[in-house]
Order: sequence, then structure tokens, then C-alpha cells
Amino acid sequence: MDCHVEYDGKFDHKNAVLLIGNPNVGKSVIFSKLTGIHVMSSNYAGTTVQLMTGKMEANKAKVPVVDLPGTYSLQANSEAEMVAVNILNQGGRVIVCVLDATNLARDLMLARELEKFQVPIVYALNLVDVAERKGISIDSKELGRLLHAPVIETVATKNIGIPQLKESIAYFYHASIDSSERLDSSFKTLHDESIDEIVNQVETISTVKQTWIDRIGEAMLRPIPGVPIAMFVLALSLGIVVGGGKALRSLLLLPIVNDFYVPNITALVERFLSEGALQNILVGEFGVLVKGIEWPFALILPYVLLFYFVLSFLEDSGYLPRLAVLVDGLLRKVGLPGHNIVPFIMGYGCAVPAILGTRASTSYKERLILTCLISIGVPCTAQTGAFIALLGDQSILALLFIFILSFGVIIFAGTMLNRWVPGRAEPVIIDVPSLLVPNFSSFMKKIWIRLKHFLLEAEIPMMLGIILAALIFETALIHLLGSWLEPLMVHWLGLPKEASITLLLGIIRRELAVMPLLEMNLSVLQLIVGSVVALFYLPCISVFIVLVKEFKLKVAIYLFLATTTLALLFGGLIHQIGRFVLFLLER
Amino acid sequence: MNLYEMKKNTRCFIEGVPNNQLLSIFGIRPGCEICVLTRQPFHGPIVVKHKHRNIAIDKHFALNIDVRLVN
Ligand SMILES: Nc1nc2c(ncn2[C@@H]2O[C@H](COP(=O)(O)OP(=O)(O)O)[C@@H](O)[C@H]2O)c(=O)[nH]1
Repeated sequence: MDCHVEYDGKFDHKNAVLLIGNPNVGKSVIFSKLTGIHVMSSNYAGTTVQLMTGKMEANKAKVPVVDLPGTYSLQANSEAEMVAVNILNQGGRVIVCVLDATNLARDLMLARELEKFQVPIVYALNLVDVAERKGISIDSKELGRLLHAPVIETVATKNIGIPQLKESIAYFYHASIDSSERLDSSFKTLHDESIDEIVNQVETISTVKQTWIDRIGEAMLRPIPGVPIAMFVLALSLGIVVGGGKALRSLLLLPIVNDFYVPNITALVERFLSEGALQNILVGEFGVLVKGIEWPFALILPYVLLFYFVLSFLEDSGYLPRLAVLVDGLLRKVGLPGHNIVPFIMGYGCAVPAILGTRASTSYKERLILTCLISIGVPCTAQTGAFIALLGDQSILALLFIFILSFGVIIFAGTMLNRWVPGRAEPVIIDVPSLLVPNFSSFMKKIWIRLKHFLLEAEIPMMLGIILAALIFETALIHLLGSWLEPLMVHWLGLPKEASITLLLGIIRRELAVMPLLEMNLSVLQLIVGSVVALFYLPCISVFIVLVKEFKLKVAIYLFLATTTLALLFGGLIHQIGRFVLFLLER
Repeated sequence: MNLYEMKKNTRCFIEGVPNNQLLSIFGIRPGCEICVLTRQPFHGPIVVKHKHRNIAIDKHFALNIDVRLVN
């Protein structure tokens, strides 16, 4: 996101170190160790679709490094592979090819394809610790001899082998300017030995007792106990986010904000400003200094923090591809191969990276369906936090109802889209990585990057939204808006006039379609209606922009119309039915 | 026999595979030995173990992979 650089062709690739490897070999970790730039790494295929660039030190000079998308081959089968081939064709100074020590035969296929580019190659044989755990040992010297290039053993997460790798890169980087002929010998092709022969010569596999972690990793793939484990993992995740968030919020953050911050800031403002519009905008009902702090920090932040904690753990441990295998059969019923569960779950964090993540999908149909489902029915964590704040204390059943409804709509919409959108879900192969204990420091860094991103991305629009709300309430605009939307808001949805503000603010951020309802003393039925409208209502403005960029304006507008219609339709129906039921009950 | 017919926990040799790049990248080539780890419900993939790796192979692929049981 902020550190991702789109491929624009301007970067000087010819003088760069090109980092390449199969997906999930630890390339992101190596890139951040080389350049000091921290990028998101995850334990599943298809993390890096965008191109990253950075600089590393080589013999006291800063040299550019490009992290190419992880690819299994260079046949230009997917968008990612096309980007990689494109850059390799332009040339580079050194190629660093990352190999997975547990998957040598597969990775050497890519290595072989790289040789035709006539650029010196340095191999990083990564994940040797995991290989050792599985009883695989590789003679890296011999491998280097057979490949005519240096092979350096690394455990990227522990920084093992990284200094040697840097040295080697620096050597070839500078050597390649000094004398290009000297390196001619390293351009020998592999064709004298086949990949299988090379592997046979360098790899020894001893039968070690399967470690407990590998046994659990396999058990998770069998429907029994895999499905019960999956349910347990999901329930636990939900428990951590919802329960933990609530505890953080009510025990720590709300007391700080309400008992300490708000009285002080109100007193301060009242001391300097006399009563009036400006004071109200700052510390009134929708005061920027009050709600602008309370909403994002006390009500939303705990859920965002815990969601990213859980998501990052699931990513780094390698659990997600296992989940993908288990749900593949079911997910195909809505036109999606199982691996789409990953961007789908990410959508519960924020739709923007989730939609960008669909770039790794193999077909347009898949991308479109997934994007539609996320935009229509998946609330982001900020909005989920808002729902919990709104409904959690009043009625847990209502909260449950909202989530069941969203699930139902997703399944229904998916089934329909699967029929309508031409094409079919491509058959795939899921490479299930080894289960890993997440590396503590990269795990924490990852949560921090995501949290920082949220704070930067969310706080400013939220403040702006709150200023807008305060202005609208302060001036008579709310009455104008209210009477204009009265037929819809009051008669069809059964909400108070002022609730019109949610439709306006919801365009800015999804949680802002919910938060103002907190201040309106609504009945449970009204709360449910308001939440349903907010749930299906437009995705926020950032999502809209991403939709336009990634698809066409037409797709974005269709989704815009579909979500709004759905929101108002469902909200209204629930109000009308609810009123009827209440009427029957009262008689 | 094709791979999709295999019961779990059986070992087999691959005899023939459709011409697909993904399969060859993951080492599913004639002559290699694999172990069927599990099958998935709802026409899901079949998970095999091939040289310490777990790979989930789509039903469409599995139906077209010929195998021979290892005794
Ligand atoms: N145990 C171990 N884990 C590693 C090593 N290198 C990377 N990882 C982990 O492997 C996973 C995949 O790494 P990542 O950099 O995202 O792979 P990429 O897809 O090639 O960019 C992450 O969870 C890393 O923390 C290593 O040498 N040893």
C-alpha cells in the first residue's frame, strides 16, 4: 500500500538487483533484510503482486533493488508473470534467485528459465531451518558448482546468511561493470544436467520422526479433524476480536476518553470560547475534538488492532492455505476456488487491500465475483467495531442477526453471480506451505504497519466526516436534508429525520454510516434497520476509487447502485415486517 | 485408475499426467511416487504428499492423472 510502488517503467532496472523466486519462498523477508524496507510477508502464495523497489548497500554504494512478483514460471501466464518477464527482458545487474530448500526441484525450474537472461545470478537457499526439521539436507557447495553460481544458505527470518548474501551481491554487482567477459563461465546453461539429476546429487533426505508441528499441519488438512479445527479457529478468532475488543474498549479506552480526556478538553475549550457555533463544532454533540477522538480511538481501534493481530497470525503461521483447501469444494458453489478465502477474510479488515489482492486470481470471473461480494456484504473491521458499539450492549441477538443476514446475502449473491458472469472457476493447485511458528518481530512489525496504515487512512476522513456532521447539525442543513429524505428515512425505514446524516457520512467511511446512530436513542428495531442499511450501503469512497481503478467505471457504478438499492430495500423490509410483528404481539 | 479414485493413505505411482504447466511445476510427473493424504468433501481437491510437500490437486486435474498403486 503506501510502500508498494506500481510498475511505471521509469525505474532504472538495468542497474538494479532483481530479486526473484517462487511464491512463498521468503522473498519478502529477504527484500526487507536487504533494503531495510519492511514489506508485508505472509505464509501463502501470491502475496506480492505489486512491484517493490528499495535500495541496498553494496560496497559503500547504494544500489537499487527490485522485488519481482513471486512466480512459478516465466511463461507470462498471469499478470504477475508478465510483469516479471517484462522487467527481466530489460536486463539487470544481478539476479538474486531465492530458492526454497524444502522445494528444490520445483524452484530449479524457475532457475533454469532465468539463465537465458545473461545476467549473473546469486542463489539464496532459504528456509534451510524448515528443511532440516523435515530431514532434508542440501549440499549447497555442490549445488553452486552444478549451477555455476554461488548458492548461499539462509534463514531469512533469523538473519542467518544475509550478510554473506549481501557480500556476494555486492561482488557481482561491481564485477559486472569491471569486466563482463570474466563472468562468461557463469552463463553456462544447466542443460548438461537435468533438474532431477541435480536434485539427486545435492539432496539427501533422511527419515526423521515427523515433528508435532508438521503432524498438526497435516491433520488440519483432513476434513476430520480439519473442519472442527477450522470452526474452533474461527470461533476463537471471533472471540479474540469481539470479546477482547470489548474488554479493551470498556476497561481501558473508554474510561480514559470519557473520564479524563473529554471533561478536560471540554473545560479547556469552554474557557477560551464563548458558547456558540464554533464551540459546538469543537466540543458539542458532534464535536470534532470529542467524537473525533472517541469514535476512532476508543470505539474502533480496539477491534482493528485485534483483527490485524488475528489476521497476521493466521497469515504467518500458514493456516490460511489449509483453510482454503477445506473450503474449496463449498466456495466453488459460488464460483470461487478455495484460495479466494484469503482476500475474502482480508475484506473483513478492509476492502481495499482485499480487492487489490484479487489480482492474484486466475480469471476475471473470479476477481469480479469476489470484488462484488466484498463490496456488497462484507463489513470492514471499523464498521464491525461500530456495529458492536451500537448493538453489542443493547442486543447480542440483533448483532448476530446482522452477521447472519450478511452471510445469507453473500451466499445468494455469489450463487447468482456465478450463473450470470460468463466463464468458470479455473482448476487450481494449492501448494500448502509448512506450518510455522510466526517470527515474533516480523509479526509485530506487520501488525504495526497495518495499524499505522489504518490510523493514517482513517483518522483524517473520519475527522472530516465529523466536521461535516457538526456543520450540518449546527446549521439548519440537517432539517433541510431531513425533510428532503423524510419519505425514505421516516416512512419507509422508520428512522428519525436526523438519521439522514448517516447516508451522507457513509459515503466517506463505512463506520460513519453507523456511529451517528449511537447518539439518537433508538429502539432495537430502529437499531437493526439502521445497521442493515449501513451494512449493505455503499462501500466507502476509497473502495469506490479502487473499484474504478481496478475495473471499469461501469462496474463501480453498478456496484454503487446495487449496494444502495439493496441497503434501502432490506432496511425498509425489515422495518415494515418488524412493525407488523410488533403490532401482532401487542394485540 | 485415476488419482481421484484413490482412497486416503494410499501410495501410488504417477503413470500419466495431462499436459499442464502447474502440475509439472509441483513435480507431478510420470514416475514419481505420491501418497494420498486426504480427500475433500463437495468435489473438493485431493491432497497428496509429494516429497515432504502437501499439495491440493483440483478434482479436474486429479480425474485426468493416471496412477498405479504401490504394493
Ligand atoms: N522458518 C523460516 N521462516 C521463514 C524463512 N523465510 C521466510 N519465512 C517465513 O515464510 C513465510 C513466507 O515468506 P514471504 O517473505 O512472505 O514469502 P514470499 O511470498 O516469497 O515473499 C513468512 O511467514 C516468513 O516469515 C526462513 O528462512 N525460515
